[in-house]
Amino acid sequence: MNISLYVAPRTVLHALDGRTKVLMALSLCLLALCFSHPLFLMALFGLVVGLLGFSGAQANVRKMWVLTTLLFCYSVVLWPFFVDGETPVPGLDAVGVTVEGVMVGLAMGLRLLVMLWAGIWLLSVTAIEELAFALERLGLPSRASFAFSLAFRWVSILLGAGVSVVQAQRSRGLDVGAGGIADRLRKYVPLVVPLIGQALRQTQMLAMGLESKGFHPFAIRRNSLPKTFLNLDYVVLGLLCCLLVLALWLRMNGVGVLRALS
Amino acid sequence: MTDLASVWQDTRLIVMTAQIAAIYAAILIPFKAGIPIIPGFVELRPANAIPIVASLLFGPAAAWGAGIGNVIGDCFGTFGPASFFGFWGNFFLGYLPYVMWGHLGWLSSGGPPVVTSWRQGMEYSLICLVGSLVCAGIIGWGVEVLGLLPFVILAPAIFFNNVAMGLLLGPPLLKFLYPRVERWHLRFEDIRATLNRGPLLEEKRGSPHQSHEPVPSSSGHPRPFLECSDWSFQYSGAEVPVLQQISFTVDSGEMVMLLGQSGSGKTTIAQACNGLIPHLVPGRVSGQIHVLGRATGHDPVWAQAGRVGMVFQDFDAQLVATTADGELRHPLEYRVPPLAPGEVDRRLAKALSHVGLHLNVERDPMTLSGGQRQRLVLASALAQAPSILVLDEPGTDLDPAGYDRLRRILLHLKEEGLALLVTERDYENIGFADRLLVLHQGALAWTGTPQALLRQPQVMRDLGLRPLPITSCFEGKGVGPLPISVEEAWTCMEEQGIKLAPSLSVLNDELRLGVVQSSTERCEPVIQVEGVSFGYDGHEVLHEVSFTIHSGEFVAILGGNGSGKSTLSRLMNGLLIPTTGRILVSGRDTRQTSMNELAKLVGLVFQNPDHQIFAETVWDEVAFSLKNFGVPENVIETRVQSALASVNFPFEGSRTQDPFSLRKGERQRLAVASVLASQPGIVMFDEPTTGLDAFETERMMEMIRGLNRDGHTVVMITHSMRLVAEYATRCLLMKEGRIVGEGHPRDVFSHPQWMEAASLNLPAISQFSQRWGYTLLTVEEVRASLTTSDTVPVHPR
Repeated sequence: MNISLYVAPRTVLHALDGRTKVLMALSLCLLALCFSHPLFLMALFGLVVGLLGFSGAQANVRKMWVLTTLLFCYSVVLWPFFVDGETPVPGLDAVGVTVEGVMVGLAMGLRLLVMLWAGIWLLSVTAIEELAFALERLGLPSRASFAFSLAFRWVSILLGAGVSVVQAQRSRGLDVGAGGIADRLRKYVPLVVPLIGQALRQTQMLAMGLESKGFHPFAIRRNSLPKTFLNLDYVVLGLLCCLLVLALWLRMNGVGVLRALS
Repeated sequence: MTDLASVWQDTRLIVMTAQIAAIYAAILIPFKAGIPIIPGFVELRPANAIPIVASLLFGPAAAWGAGIGNVIGDCFGTFGPASFFGFWGNFFLGYLPYVMWGHLGWLSSGGPPVVTSWRQGMEYSLICLVGSLVCAGIIGWGVEVLGLLPFVILAPAIFFNNVAMGLLLGPPLLKFLYPRVERWHLRFEDIRATLNRGPLLEEKRGSPHQSHEPVPSSSGHPRPFLECSDWSFQYSGAEVPVLQQISFTVDSGEMVMLLGQSGSGKTTIAQACNGLIPHLVPGRVSGQIHVLGRATGHDPVWAQAGRVGMVFQDFDAQLVATTADGELRHPLEYRVPPLAPGEVDRRLAKALSHVGLHLNVERDPMTLSGGQRQRLVLASALAQAPSILVLDEPGTDLDPAGYDRLRRILLHLKEEGLALLVTERDYENIGFADRLLVLHQGALAWTGTPQALLRQPQVMRDLGLRPLPITSCFEGKGVGPLPISVEEAWTCMEEQGIKLAPSLSVLNDELRLGVVQSSTERCEPVIQVEGVSFGYDGHEVLHEVSFTIHSGEFVAILGGNGSGKSTLSRLMNGLLIPTTGRILVSGRDTRQTSMNELAKLVGLVFQNPDHQIFAETVWDEVAFSLKNFGVPENVIETRVQSALASVNFPFEGSRTQDPFSLRKGERQRLAVASVLASQPGIVMFDEPTTGLDAFETERMMEMIRGLNRDGHTVVMITHSMRLVAEYATRCLLMKEGRIVGEGHPRDVFSHPQWMEAASLNLPAISQFSQRWGYTLLTVEEVRASLTTSDTVPVHPR
């Protein structure tokens, strides 16, 4: 079962160094934090959508759009109840919803979308090992980044086993959809125990597999891939710096910021 | 805090951390109860009990694992800056229970972390509340700082979710898991107790010896690549040594096979060849194993990776990367001194060419077939340019075509000068070894060439091995050296003037198989597959498949890996629904019949029993389906007893025996009993003998035959031609999702073109007998048909 969001078609964005891609995604999130006006955030969202399209990650967007749209809607609906404003929305003034609150809801929904889709973009153009190695070179302890990539590898194995577990228990009459909430939740025990039991049985074998391949906790890992920090990486990072400086300057001058949140 | 740091100082704890992360993410992603608390943000998910439960079992490893697992879960749609807070919130949810349990003063129960008394329940509830509170506070605060959602909405929702899951699922999970984790010595305390192992301390300071040149012996002569001298091993906690005083050598360009029953110690020796024993497996060792003149117990395991390449029986346990390229590069990236990038690429290309693997190196290894994954692991071992290659039962999951490919690779590696040590449990794949070492009852009981062993069927039986069927045919017939191949058998027949003349009774399959039903009964169709197609993710796995199975039949579905056999079995019991066409089970359309109704008609025994076993006792495991079907308590007792008796499993002790403590063959039989308990008329077995040795295979197959004779219709999925020949009354031959042949095994084996189409090899006995125009299936049939008389039977061939 393949669970990775990484998309194979190689574009110029795929070819960027892993660190550049991580910093790009991080910068997009920081830019989203700089602004609170829906128009500015909409422009930023457009940039992320463009990146996703250019990277050939449309399939991932299709996979995730329901979840992310739901999150956006929820943010838009919820925030107006928590923001004070001066201009009541006709028909909703009784529950305290104001135009300023709606604007904040829209802005926060868009900020959420920018951040989530930037994450999807990063995972679409970066293989898990590349991401782990990039995080390691950005300061994450090597053993933690290795555990992250290792866990990612095993998730797909466990999901595959999970399908068999569900099938095996269903064919013995287990119906997790029947009964009350507590009953339904307790029915997950026959699904979860074999999965955990099987994984734990393998702990020793997995450790043996790793050490047999030369791994040990104090080993220094050296990336054997050719160096990928190219001129384009410097250009992209330079551009990002300029964008961040500009965004901060705009924010300090009150541009792109909603008054309700300033 | 030192506990938290100690997790990163031991490979097993790093593995444990990654496993907890993987388990958490794997349950977080698909197992949704579908009950939203905040639509889109938080819903009741069983996974949220995992950090608390794991914390009480695995301590700080659970804290790191829960944090990482949550980030991985986010990678499926919600990865972003909030993941940072999600990491720390889950970290504390996985850390605080461990810190608090037993340290709450008078509130502590003083017992182990299971909920069996009200005091333990109180203690558990308290830590559950505190852990959830801290987790919710961190995430709620972080998300509000980012401006995504108000704290007052998100934090209470997370708190409620974690508490609800922790309280509802935590106690039963701990009840099931704690005794097993304790028995497997996997609690954090157990692993921490072994942290200061000598070799690991040396690793931190010293530079390991990674030379590939054999160290000469004191006499100046080059030593063998692998030298085992008077080596004995007793597993920690075992009463007797598994192996005693084992001595052998393996030299350059030599292939030695270790043969023996399950539990004979083959894997033990394999694991000692690169120091896994005693470095990672505790026990008492005496004697020495030297590789290139270096004692394997001296250097740490990782330092021996360049000298000894290992391929485990469960090779999936060696896959560590999400791309084939990452898999191949991984071991080379830890080498000391590092290899030049050009050298890395050269080695990878050579290793891939050795194993004949031509694939897109960006592919996820888990999307490859079993045989391809095994070759990828082999290539990864070869990339380190080892002098010795150790393969533990490489044929377990391979179909005949796959094993043939592997055999050619190993012979090529041998020609290149590698020393190869391969373990096997059966005769089928030993013919190409230079030398055999047979382990029996803890000792090296026999050594010699495969030919010498195969010509002595009685010696093989004495060693607990199954002799070659073609050899058994001539045993006691007064022939000189017994034949060990079809060609030798033909020559033997000519030289001895023996003829093959089967009588009518030999060719009568009803007599042979003990089929007792009348033809009318057999005509009643119980499964009708009509024009069925099925596919996953747009890829069609089955194409227009049609056949009928009648009551009382023993049908084998035969085919290579990936031919669609398992998919077909899941369609026949309603787990999957056909894309086109229909399946009728006892006249009911699977598309319109509930899973529960179908489960009472068709029982499916899965290939891996561990995918279903969960209960605390054997009795509970067997009774599980009956309780699900609402069978009255008084009937359950009788049914459990009867089901256990059907699989020759003792009923006494079943109420206390933990199924997790059983051996593989016993777990397999327990899985069968748990299916039989609901008394289905049809029982399907998916590769029931995988991983079983000759004795266990025989026992399993006799049990299945017994079920068939008792009136059950049996459907068995396999790629073992021998089992089909000996047991099935009919077989379906599959290739790439299509039926390419169908009929009685004798008829199917009489059509070489069908076998060829399905990439399967004819059993040696059938191949032998076809020279005389007959297709015989078993040793008994051949023995009964050998005659020196000139009388030729008159009956159709």
